[in-house]
Amino acid sequence: MTSKDFVRQSDGLGSAAAKSRSFWRLIRTDPPLLVGLLLLCAFGLFILFSASGGDEAVVQRQGLTMIVGIVMMLIVAQFNIHFFRSWAPSMYAAGIALLGVVLLIGVEAKGAKSWLDLPGLPSFQPSELMKFVVPMLVAWYLASRPLPPRFKHLFWSAVMILVPTALIILQNDAGTAIMVAMSGMFVVLLAGIRWRIVIGGALALLMVSPAWYLFLAQEHQRNRILTFFNPYRDPTGAGYNIIQSQIAIGSGGIYGKGYTLGAQSHLDFIPESNTDFILAVLAEEFGLLGILFLISLYLFVLVRGGYIAYRATDMFSRLLAGSITLTFFLYVFVNMAMVSGLLPVIGVPLPLMSRGGTSIVTLFIGFGLLMSIQTGGRVNVL
Amino acid sequence: MTGKWQLKDHEAERALFDRRLAVAAVFIALLFAALIAKLVNLQVFKHDYFSARSDGNRIHSQFVPPPRGLIFDRNGELLADNQPIFNLTVVREQVEDMEATLSFLSTLIRLNEDDIEQFNNRMRRNRVPFSSVPLRYVLTEEEKSRFAVNSHKLPGIAIEHQFVRHYPLAALTAHSVGYVSEINREELDRMSDADRENYGGSNHIGKTGIERTYEELLHGTVGYEIVEKNNRGQVMGTLDRTNPVAGKNITLHMDSRLQIAAGKALGDFRGAIVAIDPATGGILAMVSKPGFDPNLFVTGISSRDYKVLVTDEINTPLFDRSTNPYPPGSTIKPFLGLGGLHNGLVDYEFAIEDPGYFRLPGVSYRWGDYTLRTAIGGGHGHTNLQKAIYQSCDTFFYALGNRMGIDTIHQFMSQFGFGENFALDISYARTGVLPSREWKMASRGEPWYPGDTINSSIGQGYMWATPLQLATAVSIIANKGKVVQPRMLKEIEGQAFQEDIENAVPDVMLNDPDYWRFMEEAMTMVVHRPYSDTFRDYGTAYEAIAMADRDMSYKMAGKSGSAQVVGISQEILQSTDIIVSDLNKDHGLFIAFAPTENTQISPQIAIAVFVENGEHGSSVAGPIAKQVIDTYLLDILKIDFAAMEAAADTSISQVDD
Repeated sequence: MTSKDFVRQSDGLGSAAAKSRSFWRLIRTDPPLLVGLLLLCAFGLFILFSASGGDEAVVQRQGLTMIVGIVMMLIVAQFNIHFFRSWAPSMYAAGIALLGVVLLIGVEAKGAKSWLDLPGLPSFQPSELMKFVVPMLVAWYLASRPLPPRFKHLFWSAVMILVPTALIILQNDAGTAIMVAMSGMFVVLLAGIRWRIVIGGALALLMVSPAWYLFLAQEHQRNRILTFFNPYRDPTGAGYNIIQSQIAIGSGGIYGKGYTLGAQSHLDFIPESNTDFILAVLAEEFGLLGILFLISLYLFVLVRGGYIAYRATDMFSRLLAGSITLTFFLYVFVNMAMVSGLLPVIGVPLPLMSRGGTSIVTLFIGFGLLMSIQTGGRVNVL
Repeated sequence: MTGKWQLKDHEAERALFDRRLAVAAVFIALLFAALIAKLVNLQVFKHDYFSARSDGNRIHSQFVPPPRGLIFDRNGELLADNQPIFNLTVVREQVEDMEATLSFLSTLIRLNEDDIEQFNNRMRRNRVPFSSVPLRYVLTEEEKSRFAVNSHKLPGIAIEHQFVRHYPLAALTAHSVGYVSEINREELDRMSDADRENYGGSNHIGKTGIERTYEELLHGTVGYEIVEKNNRGQVMGTLDRTNPVAGKNITLHMDSRLQIAAGKALGDFRGAIVAIDPATGGILAMVSKPGFDPNLFVTGISSRDYKVLVTDEINTPLFDRSTNPYPPGSTIKPFLGLGGLHNGLVDYEFAIEDPGYFRLPGVSYRWGDYTLRTAIGGGHGHTNLQKAIYQSCDTFFYALGNRMGIDTIHQFMSQFGFGENFALDISYARTGVLPSREWKMASRGEPWYPGDTINSSIGQGYMWATPLQLATAVSIIANKGKVVQPRMLKEIEGQAFQEDIENAVPDVMLNDPDYWRFMEEAMTMVVHRPYSDTFRDYGTAYEAIAMADRDMSYKMAGKSGSAQVVGISQEILQSTDIIVSDLNKDHGLFIAFAPTENTQISPQIAIAVFVENGEHGSSVAGPIAKQVIDTYLLDILKIDFAAMEAAADTSISQVDD
């Protein structure tokens, strides 16, 4: 604890605000983050009700998943962050092992062989866990090295990032692989990797990408790229999703058509309106104002995440908190950009809005880590 | 390793991290700004465009076809109604693999190459995207349930119900009422833009008969519907609707009981019957046999069935014998005889001594009497006009025709509708040929020869008339010269239909109206003049009609005719599945009206019977006419002639002594 913290706490002693703050300290919960997340959950359920065509069962299941996620978040928050720090290598090793197991006996869904269906456990995707296990390990590794990281440290960080990424690509789940890689890269970026390496790497990627497109990319990936540049090359096939979602967004206008009055979504013109394309439903029914409201909710959570990273006491916590916050932003941005036609279609859900299971729980575990960092979770099992 | 810790500068590292965090915040702000810019572009600047696209997505204007007007007979019996059928339809946009779908469907329902070919034709017509196209009409209950079980495997395929035309009398009204069938490309091209819109929701259009003639009345006016559809083209709701105006229900003069009786009377013969109510000109029955099932055409006849219909060159079921011309033979003699009286060429007493043939002065060729093809030689002997009618003496009419000349014959006969179409609403009926000098020069490029007149005088040669024309002409005699043009349509929506007739045909005026009675008497003798000791002095149809029915309670006037068959194709002559000699047999004809010589009621029915290869008019066509007249007078009108006779102090002369 820094001396600043101490001073702030002493100031509040005896006041009602200080009492309530100490209550939240007691249960290791960050109230602003919790409020922000609860608002997002409520708004998400509200939109999902319309997007699912008033299907209460869908909304109930989503609400239940959120409750499970929140409970997981609160449990994770109880652990001291240094518990995770010390266990990071073991968790990473276990994660890699699970990814290996998935490759052997994994279950396939929607084209990706990423599910593990073990007896006695609910089926889950080990690749999802890697979204915070990878940054945890990289943060663990870099935090104890001088920053900005040297080339040797960067090399090993890259290995730590690329091994699980490669395994997830082998599962045929490119979307998750990109997000896992990015979550690790954010740590490296925040750790102060030199800009010329970043720019050099970006340029290299740019130069390699035509080769990837020509020789490695699969047919559907190529189609997505082509469709991104011209959705009307196949308006009833590959371009259908993006055309219809743009129509939904555009026809929503500034004020929207009204709750549950979105013609595009309720007449089933928007595919995946419950999951990846739920933003189109929101945009159609609540217009630009609705999206701005959602963006401000996200911004609130992002600012709080940034603040937690900024205020964290050690470099491991800072790097981890920063990476989790940036990964959350990446989800929000990539999904919104893809639905509005700013990026090619990548199967990325809109956090806390899209219908989903594992991804929501993973998200809350990430926020649990943020709360642990902020409140200094006291369970310290070493 | 411990050295590393010494190398760490916590304050510097923290400052570095904070800078990176700030950079990240800037990136986040920039990316959100880009996103919001994109959304503002979509939702503010392109809002109108996307609103229109959104409406275009879901809002569809569709036609609502009007129900087609029903066709009733004069007693309110349905001749054409609309019945629901269940069709299998396809929305092309929703079928992933058309070939696989069709082959799977063919395991569930009857679906042959013919159906698929017709389906492909329909697909090629201009078609609204996401609209359904019929694949198979008239599914059976079993097919419906087999499809229902598998429908989840067949996206884009659905069962739709539709009202289609149904003709209860089937083949009996195939030619007269006609039929509707799918609108074809040429018909669409011929339509005006307004009509094309009016047919936007209709699949069918009248092709023949009444269905075609009164298409405009029967079709009605198309309605419109603005509907909201989902992405599968299913209608989710109606936003606006203009109801269609149903086609008018129409009533024909036709009596379905008489139509059935006429069909039965013709039996297995090929031929035609046309019966007219002389007072109104209403067509009571109009039958052509053999017919075909018009219901087959409604839902798209299979090419195999169609081939059967068109390749049958002997029965030619599609050919309407009631409105197509044949040589009328001796049935024209009453008209020629009236022409002779009117022009003063003969009177009641005028007679010839018939040697059995006729020779033009200075020409050695003898025109024989076709009615005398018997072993017995000689002619009819002393023959006046009445005898020439009831004995059908050719020689008398050769001579009369020769004296009248073709110009007078043409002028006089045309008043009875020969060579013209008097029918008000049977525009497709042929006009036949009433030959004239001009006609022959125009069509053959040859001058008229006196011999041509001789042939024409007995309804051969160039003379051609349709059964409809013969029935019309004989109804004019029944009306004593008053011309009531034949017609099919009686009422529209229960209101009596009075057509504004332009250029109404004038009545036939004779110098002495008694000529009508005289000719009616002669024609009555054709049926009722019995055998006697006098050589060849009986009515030609006496044996077949009056003698065959001793209890006949009324009298009828008739005239038989036989016409030589002309031009049978070599192909038919060489075919093995028919007795060729049958095809060389003469056509038998009979025209009649009844009752006659009745002081209380005028003739109620005029009829023409045509029997292809019937050989004899009097013995084959005559009894058929009698049977139809019996049905009409006795069964339908239920006239009790005995009671009528008893009530009145009868003065009708009895001929059957």
